[in-house]
Parts: sequence; structure tokens; C-alpha cells
Amino acid sequence: MTRYALRRLAQSVAVLLGVSVLVFAIMQLVPGDPIRAALGQQADPETYQALRDRAGLDDPVPVQFVTWIGNAAVGDFGVSFRSGETVLSLILERVPATLSLAVAAIIVALLIAIPLGTLSALNPRKPVDWFASLSSQAGLSVPDFWLGIMLILVFAGTLGWLPSAGYVPLTEDPVEWARHLILPAITAGVSSGAILTRFVRSSVLESLGQDHVRTARAKGMRARDVLTWHVLRNALVPLVTVGGVQLAYLLSGVVVVEYVFAWPGLGQLAFQAVESRDYPVLQGAVLLFAVIFLLVNLVVDLAYARLDPRITYRSAR
Amino acid sequence: MRAGETLRLLFRGPTAIVAAAVLLVLIVTAFLGEQLAPHDATGTDVSNRLQAPSADHWFGTDELGRDVLSRVILGAEVSLRVGAVAVGISLVAGVLIGLLAGYYGRWVDDVLMRLSDVLFAFPAMLMAIAVLAILGPGSTNAMIAIGIVYTPIFARITRASVLSVREEVYVKAARSAGAGDLRIIGRHVLPNVTAPIIVQTSISLAFAILSEAALSFVGLGTQPPDPSWGRMLAEGRGFVEQAWWMAVFPGLAIFVTVLAFNVLGDALRDVLDPRQRQAMAGTGVTA
Amino acid sequence: MGADMNRGKVRGHAVALAAIALVSAGCGGGDDVDLDDPQGSGGGQGGDDQGDGQSGDGGTLVAAISAQPDQFDPHKTQAYASFQVLENVYDTLVVPDAEGEFQPSLATEWTTSDDGLTWTFTLREGVTFHDGSAFDSADVVYSYNRIIDEQLANAYRFASVASVEATDPQTVTITLTEPTPALLDNIGGFKGMSIIPEGAAEATDLATTAVGTGPFTLEDAGANGVTLARYDDYWGDPALVDGVEFQYVSEPAAALTALRSGDVHWTDNVPPQDIEGLRDDEQVELGVTPSVDYWYLAMNQTKPPFDNRDFRRGVAFGIDRDEVTEAARFGAATTNQTAIPEQSRWFHEYAPFEHDPDQATQLIEQTAAQSPQPMALMVTDEYPETVQAAQVIQAQLAEVGVEIGIEQEAFATWLDRQAAGDYDAFLLGWLGNLDPFGFYHAQHVCEGTSNFQGYCNPEVDSLLQSAAGETDQDARKALYDQAAELIVDDVSYLYLYNPDVVQAWAPGIEGYEIRADKAINFETVRLPE
Repeated sequence: MTRYALRRLAQSVAVLLGVSVLVFAIMQLVPGDPIRAALGQQADPETYQALRDRAGLDDPVPVQFVTWIGNAAVGDFGVSFRSGETVLSLILERVPATLSLAVAAIIVALLIAIPLGTLSALNPRKPVDWFASLSSQAGLSVPDFWLGIMLILVFAGTLGWLPSAGYVPLTEDPVEWARHLILPAITAGVSSGAILTRFVRSSVLESLGQDHVRTARAKGMRARDVLTWHVLRNALVPLVTVGGVQLAYLLSGVVVVEYVFAWPGLGQLAFQAVESRDYPVLQGAVLLFAVIFLLVNLVVDLAYARLDPRITYRSAR
Repeated sequence: MRAGETLRLLFRGPTAIVAAAVLLVLIVTAFLGEQLAPHDATGTDVSNRLQAPSADHWFGTDELGRDVLSRVILGAEVSLRVGAVAVGISLVAGVLIGLLAGYYGRWVDDVLMRLSDVLFAFPAMLMAIAVLAILGPGSTNAMIAIGIVYTPIFARITRASVLSVREEVYVKAARSAGAGDLRIIGRHVLPNVTAPIIVQTSISLAFAILSEAALSFVGLGTQPPDPSWGRMLAEGRGFVEQAWWMAVFPGLAIFVTVLAFNVLGDALRDVLDPRQRQAMAGTGVTA
Repeated sequence: MGADMNRGKVRGHAVALAAIALVSAGCGGGDDVDLDDPQGSGGGQGGDDQGDGQSGDGGTLVAAISAQPDQFDPHKTQAYASFQVLENVYDTLVVPDAEGEFQPSLATEWTTSDDGLTWTFTLREGVTFHDGSAFDSADVVYSYNRIIDEQLANAYRFASVASVEATDPQTVTITLTEPTPALLDNIGGFKGMSIIPEGAAEATDLATTAVGTGPFTLEDAGANGVTLARYDDYWGDPALVDGVEFQYVSEPAAALTALRSGDVHWTDNVPPQDIEGLRDDEQVELGVTPSVDYWYLAMNQTKPPFDNRDFRRGVAFGIDRDEVTEAARFGAATTNQTAIPEQSRWFHEYAPFEHDPDQATQLIEQTAAQSPQPMALMVTDEYPETVQAAQVIQAQLAEVGVEIGIEQEAFATWLDRQAAGDYDAFLLGWLGNLDPFGFYHAQHVCEGTSNFQGYCNPEVDSLLQSAAGETDQDARKALYDQAAELIVDDVSYLYLYNPDVVQAWAPGIEGYEIRADKAINFETVRLPE
């Protein structure tokens, strides 16, 4: 187990290195000069060159890369071209908003998936099952940005119940925080909920077929008790792992949902960094996403391997 | 399984039939767009802007006075074309990579799969945005960007299937009979890994259409004045309070199209590849 | 916002009466409201109360702005959002009033030598920075030299400055290499020329903190907003509100909802299509006033057939400005065939191009390389109105033999392609100009730093060069008028319209002044009871 974990860790570091190279390659290929973007329309040639020199943009690419990696290794991710703030502080500033949204969206997803998936597994091939499966299809198919706009139209526009966009920190005003969170969380949570519904359905089905459940049923345990004690508990394991993967996806910044709701999260930060060619910020944000992705996968795989002895470490990936 | 039987199984249920019918209508619409559209989809008429749905304009008019129905109709062609070409790119590239990695194994496998790990660790939407930043916005470049983003999924699915086929008796037999690699891959491996690839193709079409809409929504996909559903949504977003129809109809069009592909993909999977029902559900990448 | 906030209008007389000291009573800008300490609470410390409450003091004004400031270093930022905040935090030596006339601020009076080459500024006494240190001439010299020596974004404004010297603690002397009537605009047109304390750039991180002399101190800045508190030792009358809270609300609908519900007192996030609906809205006070911005189309004059004056004139005849303006701005703009808006004293009425498709077709037919003539039109989603205008222009020019291909680029790429000359035509605007030098010079002299379209007319060159150094205001205007006519006739820029500034605030807010240069200042604002 330890050896396996170490091997995976080494692989992860290699992937991170690969991601860094990839981002650097992208930055070299993208047209659009970050300094010109920061200076705007009236860039004075001398000012422009002075800033380029300061940012080291005319150094050879390998030199830039090694400098960046060296600094990143000691926790220095550089300074934004656009704002002059450190990348680390820009990212940390965005973390609470992204974390709020990701956690709330996962909760929405589970609130959809657990009842719907369970109901549909308990009534296979009945109308409920058919309905659940179609809902799950629909949830996967609805464009999240459109769903967001429609929710805004109805709940913020026509009904006026909820704010249409923006973010209020939890520490500032918990009630407003929650009110601002509802619509984006639903928007981001629906597709995850659709995916999770399928998992809940199949794992409940699977565990209904397992011996001890059949035994419990045969012993005359009431259906509801069987469901809660045996079936759901068994179904929880795959749910946690798939849920983990979904959480990683949500943490990596749901770019378009954040865009629609003007949510100051990491996805927006990365998107704006691409648009304004703010390379240090893009580099930092993507690296963070990769770390989240790899960590979650690692934890999920390890947890799986631990919980299910049939899985051998060699083929776990 | 013969094609006839596959089709019979596929259309057992009503949902698959409905989905197929919807797609048929869409494809016809895409081909006949210009003929079907009641008005000019790009000509502007500012004095006639933001008109609510009426007998003349069933879906109303947009902020430049263009007929929304006509634009939705012409948008079908854009969506389907971008989706199809993008998936075509990832299909060819992904299957090729997957075959090589799965068949040759060892370092080829290691290198190719680590590369796909790197792509996987990069959030999909951000990757597509970055590729478009390099290539410049536009629907052709959107196809390439989406194609790149979905390549690793095809590579992984193909590789996994190849790994299981590689050790089959008939492959070993062909090898010991002295057949070349190309021949073995073409004759024995590829035909036996098609089922999951077909299923993935249908599902990827759904996601590719969603991605195109998302990219156009943030201004990177189809360029004005061409009607793309995502772009129309982006334009409609600024007018939600004055003109709900600008955002509602193109969104519905995306939703119905993607739903049809998803439903059909699911039905295909049930028929062709029942074991895979679970495994791929979690890899769907949306915006 | 990437386009520049620059230029202040040298409002004639000050410069015309060279060598005569101009003295003006203190507190610049505080002309509307001149009240004693609010509620007699003499310097009550700025509280942190949220929004609506007044609770015996001035309360906190909540302003919704559409974008997040990129940074707070006044000498480095180019973002309008940053200046919205900095306007209330920093001061310049002189400051334009609502009419664009320059008024004393940190300088109380100034004189110009007879040859126009030496400007002497007398500084205000008793001014302290937010860190408590006293303001004197060393701070001015330090601030200006920082911009010049580090070649910061606004260094070009000192192009004609030979030296900045502290004659004594209350006097600064600026020596020029050539007469520069626009100097007051250059040093006071906007807060990019703010005075910071000597050594501040080395001592603190100006990107995230601020040490100004203005009516408010920068307290806190985060991902969702900025808080300012009243500076009680401000040299003018202290602000009436205890503080200002800027919130970033990028969605217009959200800003308006917040305004109606009283969560926000002021916003500039009002898209033009909402104006009509807001006029009758009793919950909202709407302010609409012509701005000093202008939007234009430029063709690449180094490339055939766009290098042909007649072709460009054909395009100018082929465009219906009224329709473009209506499409892009929903009427919240004034069409204009020159750059300078009607309200300015520098306005010159000149409109030779009537929408005339026949003449357009004829001119284009004679000069185009092919029929229809393709023309790629570069726009950017940074300014969505360019995308809307482009689609209308596309439809209009299709009628006269020009086939437009719209290219929507990220602003970074847009700027790169503009600088490289890699385009057929583009749409953009210039924001915040006050002096005609800013409106015309760098854009249209042959070697101008902003002359990306490759225009070169020796006659225009000499007119603009003489106008730049002309100290007689009427003569100066005559020169600019002549130059403007040539620029318009040659279609160096194809001017489209001057947009309106649109802002909205809560009914009952007093003392707020909507300004053509879009500077927003809350110094004299009083919240409703």
C-alpha cells in the first residue's frame, strides 16, 4: 500500500511538471502581449519595453521556465502583470467563494441524487425509474449557463426572491451569503446531481442483490430498515468516491457558471488571466487545479483500494 | 451482432425512437436551414428590435431586429457541424493513440497515457479556452479546441478495450501465424473494440455541442453575425429583463439537441456495451 | 477597461493670461454643498455601519461599480474601476471642475513665464497625507520623477517636461522644452497623476494600499469590494459621509435590484437599453449626461484599397450613423462626425457625410480591388457595443459593395494586432479626453504614438504641431478646427458618436454631480435621512 501510494505520488509530481510545461507552452503560443494588455491603448514604446524587461519576458523561454519552477518550488508563484499583486494572494482571495460554491453545489447534487437514485433502484423498470432516468439525462443535457439565466429570469427577475448575481462572504453576512449562493449552487449542482443519480441507482441495485441484504429481507426485517441499514450504507462507498471526483471538478472553477453569476471564484480568475494574458496568474491557477485533481484522484483510488480488497494496486488506475 | 438486430434492440423503447426522430428533424433543418427560415437571419432592422413573439416572428426579434426563429433554425447547422467535426477529430486522434498505447504497451503506453493524464488534469473548459486563445476565436478553431479536449477520453476507452482484446486467443493466433502489427490491429483488434467507441461517440457529440455553445457564450466560438445558439444566448443574456425570448429559445434548442444525443447514446450503450453502463458516466465533461 | 482615462481640458483663460497669477479660493470642487460639520459631530470617526443607517452620523455610501479595480497604484493602473476608487483617495495639483475648467487642488496658484517654458506652482499649506506626514514640494518632485524615471504608463504626459524642481517647500517649478498649453490637463486631467508621499513606492505596496491626501482613506480591499473611510484631517471640508463602500457588481440587473432595495446608493452599471424603463422609475434617480468619449472606425491606410481616400469616403457615405448609434447605444449617445462633443468649448460643427448609398456605391466601385470588396472589421468583447455596431455596419456596407467579416478578439490580441498593423479596419473608442490635444494629436500626426491607422497628411501635421504650442486660445481652437476638418474629410478616423454617461442613484442623495469625464467623487454627497 505505501509503496503504491509513493509510486502514485511520484506520478503525480510528473503530471504536475507536465501541466506546468503545457501552460508554459500555451503562454508562448498565445498571441497578445500581456504588457500591452496591461498598458491599454496608449502604450508608450519606452514604457512598454521597460515593463517587458522588468517582467523578464524577453529572456529565453527555458530560462523563464526554470526561473518560474525554481520560485514555485519555494512557494513564490510570482506577481500578476495586471495588478502587481502576488499570485498567491490573488488565489487565496478567491478560495472562499469557490469553496462555498463547490460545497453547496455538491449538497444540491446529493439532494437530487440520493432520493432520485434510490427511488428508481427500488422500482426498476417502473414509471418512477423511467422518470428518474429521463431526469438524469435532462440534468446532463441542460447547458448550465442557460439554466443559470433561466433561474435568474424567474427567481431574481419575475419573482424577485433572490439576488441575480454576486457574492457576499460568509464572514460578512451569513444570510446574504446563503441567498447569493442558492442560484449558482443549483446551476452548478444539477449536472453533478445527474451523474450521481446513476451511481446511486446502480449501487443500490447492486447491494439489493447482495447476500446479506437478501438474508435480512428473508429474516423479515422491514423494508425501510433494510434500506437504511444495509443498502444505503453499502451504496455510500461508491457515492463518496464519485462525489469526490465531482467535487474536484467543481473546485477547479466552473468557469461559465461563475461567469453568469459574476461569482469571484477561481474559474473567473483563470478565465480573466487568459483574456488579459496574465500568465503568472494563469500558471498559478492551473497548477492549483491540477493539484486538486490529482489529490482527489489519489485519495479516491487509495480509499477504493482499501475498501475493496478485490482491487489490486497495480491496475487501480 | 448484426446491424439489423442492433437497430431492433435499440428502438425497443419509445425514448430512443423519439430521440432519433428529433435528431432526424435537426439534421434536416441543418441541411435546409436557408429554405426553412422565414426571415433573413443576419439582416438587421433596428427599428424592429426586441419585438415579442408574434404571428410574424414566432420567437420574437433580437436586439438588432433579427428574427430569432430564423436564427435558431440556422444555428442548428452550426451546432451539428461543430459537434460532428470536433468529435471526428477526437475520435480519430484518440482511437489512434489508444490503439498504439494498448497494443504496444510498455514505454509507448506510459508516455501516451501520462500525456493524457496531463490533459485530464487541465480543466476541460479552461483548456478549450486556452486553445482558442492560441488559435483565435471562430467556429473552425472551436472544433479543433473541442477535438483536443475530448481526445484523451477516446484514447483511454480504446486503450482499455485493446488491453482486454490483446490477450485473446485469436490475436495470439494471428501473431503466431506471423501476421504484421498493422494487420493484427486492423483485422483483429479494431473490429473488436468498436462498441464502446461508438457509444462514446454519441455521448461526446452531446458534450461537444454543449461545449461549442459554452465557448460561443463566452465569445470565443462562432463569430457574429453567424447565428450560433451559444452566441444568441450570450446576446440574450443582456436583455433578459426586456426580451426573455432572446435567451429562452436558443437555450431550449441546445437542451433538446443535447438531450437527444444523450438518450440515444444511452440506448446504444444498453445494446452494444451493457457492462460499460456505469464506467463512463463520470467522465462527462461540461462547462 | 483598457482604453485610457486621460486628458484634462485646459480651460483656456488660465493659460491665455500667461504670467498672471491665478488665485482661486480653497476647497476645489466643493461648490454645491458647503456645510459645516455634519450633524455637528466634528470629526466623528468614520464608522463601519452598513448601508442604510444614519444613526446620528453621515452613514456609509454604498456604490456598485461594474468591475474590480486591478490595482491601486495611481501611477500604474489604467483601469477605470481603479480610478473610480482613487478619485476619492488621491489628489492632483490641479483638478478639472464639472465644466472641465482647471481649479486649484494641491496647488493653490500657478504662474507661467512669458515664453511659456516655466511654470511655477504654489502649493497648499497644511495638507497631510493619510499616514500623517506633511505634504510639500518634495512629494510632488518625487511623484513626477517616479512616473518619468520608471517610465510608467503616463510618462508620455511629461514628454515636453525638462525638469521638475522644488524651489522651496511650498513651490514647484516645472521647466519645459517647448510651450505646452495642455500642461494643466497633463498633470491634473485625471488621478493617474496623483501626488504620493516621498518614498512611498519603496516604503509600501502601492498596488494594495494607498497613501493619498484626498477626502477618504483606503481601508480595505478584497475580492468583492473596497472600503473607504472619511479622512478627518482632509485639507478641504471633510466629507459628509463616514465612508464609502464600493461593491463590484458586474451584472447590471443585480446592481439595479440592489439600488431599488436600498442595499446600494449609487451605481454606474446601467446598460443603455435600461434607460427607457428607468426614466419613470420612482425608486431610482437617473443621471444621463453627454460624455467626452468618442467611438470611431479606422481603416488601415497602409493597405489597398483602404489607403485610397476615395474608398474611405465611400465607406463614410455608406454608413448610417443614426442607425449605428441607435443599435449600439439605444439612443444614449449623440452622433458626431468629429471627435469633440457638442458640449465642449472645443466643439467644431462639421458634418460633411450624409448617409448616401448611391454615392458610396460609386466611390467604392471606382476604387475597390474587387467586387464586393472584403474588409475584415476587428472588434473586441471588452467593449460589447463595438460588436453590436459592427453587425449593423456590416449590413449597411453590404448594400454598397463592401463585404465585412467581423473578427471578435480578446482585447490583448486586439491591441497586439492593432500595434502590428495586422487588420483591415477596427472599431474602438477613446475615453476621457478633455483637451483637443488629447482628441487629435497622437492619433493623427504622421509619427503619432496612437496613429495605428497609418494616416499622414503634412498639412494636418503642421496644423496639429502649431496648435500644440499655441497659447492663444482662440487661435488654438481655429487651428484644431482646421485640422479636424481635414481629418474628417480624409477619413483618418470615421467618427461615429459620443456616448452618454449613465448613472443611477437612490432618490434623496444630495450633492452628487454626474460628470462628462466620468470621474466620480463622493466628497460632497449626503445620504438621505
